[in-house]
Amino acid sequence: MSPIRAFASALFLFFIFTVQESAVARINFPIAGFSFYLAVLLALMALEESSGSILLGFIGGVILDLAPSTGSPFGQWALILTLVGYVIGTNRESIGDFTSRPGAYVAFVSAAGAITLAGYLLLGALLGENNGSIGHNAVVILGNSLWTLIFAPIALPILAKLRSLTLTSRERV
Amino acid sequence: MAGRGGNRSRLLLVILLVTSLFLITLDLRGVSLTKSSRSATQSFLAPIQKGVSSLFSPVGNFFSDIKNFGKTKAELAATKAQNAKLANELILNADVKGELAKLRGALNLAGHGGYKVVSARVIGHGSASTFSQTITIDAGTADGISTDMTVMGSTGIVGVVKQTTATSSVVELMSDPNFKIGVRIAGTQSVGVVLGQGDSHFVLQLLDPAGTIKVGDALVSLGSDGNKPFVAGVPVGRVSAVNTNSASLTQEADVIGFENLNDLGVVTVVVAPPAHDPRDALVPTPEPTVTVYVTATAAPGTLPVTPTGPTVTPTPEPTPSAAGTKKKATK
Repeated sequence: MSPIRAFASALFLFFIFTVQESAVARINFPIAGFSFYLAVLLALMALEESSGSILLGFIGGVILDLAPSTGSPFGQWALILTLVGYVIGTNRESIGDFTSRPGAYVAFVSAAGAITLAGYLLLGALLGENNGSIGHNAVVILGNSLWTLIFAPIALPILAKLRSLTLTSRERV
Repeated sequence: MAGRGGNRSRLLLVILLVTSLFLITLDLRGVSLTKSSRSATQSFLAPIQKGVSSLFSPVGNFFSDIKNFGKTKAELAATKAQNAKLANELILNADVKGELAKLRGALNLAGHGGYKVVSARVIGHGSASTFSQTITIDAGTADGISTDMTVMGSTGIVGVVKQTTATSSVVELMSDPNFKIGVRIAGTQSVGVVLGQGDSHFVLQLLDPAGTIKVGDALVSLGSDGNKPFVAGVPVGRVSAVNTNSASLTQEADVIGFENLNDLGVVTVVVAPPAHDPRDALVPTPEPTVTVYVTATAAPGTLPVTPTGPTVTPTPEPTPSAAGTKKKATK
């Protein structure tokens, strides 16, 4: 991932973060809320090569750590999303190219969102945080996955298109 | 080539993991750099949230409106009949009217208790990915608000101010899993702690092993040392079920909050406590009991029963005093 594209991705993610915090969070979704930001971040990470995925995970995590409503220590999201980026990156070859398989892409983003949230809760528990009952958290995770499954098909093709615009000719090859 | 790429990825991973752990350590040690970065983000987001708030106000409850569609359809005929009567009232925007009603309720409660308050509009909610239950309000240090101040709604406690900037504040809702408030049972005066559970239900842990809890008991805030974070006498909730567990040292009960935390438009922040503890004066009176009197009239061969209709015992509206309330103009 070129430094220019890393910077452009960071700016884009911050824009999505602003949309999430000011608009999406205002909607009272049934079951549980929907993290549009997390869906977009994981969708971008899924299209990157190994080191790009790790770097994007870290940048996206730091931006998510900036959320004023977050009660967790600064850096917790960065840690989890860096690890998720590594897992996605190392399994990049076995996962294959998502651009030609939209169904698998949507399912992957939804599942990755659930794993990320579960990892965040697990790390929070290790750090001694109180994040509520297991049942409630399970509902939040499942609800987020469900909404990701519903909304991702609309957002992901646009995202893939936007990303391809920022690729250098070398990265396209 | 692949091996070199793999090594580079692993090196990057280690560097970024160490950086993340370093940031977590800094935060846990209370370094202000991490806290100020969140305050700066809040300062950046507050004007946007304020702008989007008015735009999203009708869309926010879109999904719940869909859910209630069937019910709404049944009520449509009755509503149509009332439409003509209500037409002249439509001059005022329905949204503004709703906010005014909430503001009036909140100021009534504050005025009745003698709290000095600043009213504020809710401009943001904590996002789903944070697992913490918070709201953002459009009043900050410039309005006299500081951290650890009690936040009230029109019927009871909402939460506590967690973070402030000049023009906005983040409020930790009482539904947050980290939320704890000392309470007193109105009437018996037994003392306990109400804990947030992440949803609309709360748990009361009674501190007095000999004390008793009954379904329907009203809970009011006990008050903190120096009135921070909680002032005394604010209604918290009502006991909905008592959990009897002989293995537990303390008695526990399920509590339903007086304030609907999913429907907050306007709140008030207590900037100064009352001169005297209002004790149980602010506890909302329960719903009026409907008593049906049935008079049996004896007749030859038959026993007709003549219902005389329901008699509702009215409950007086609390009479709020406007004294002691500092009103902030709501936009």
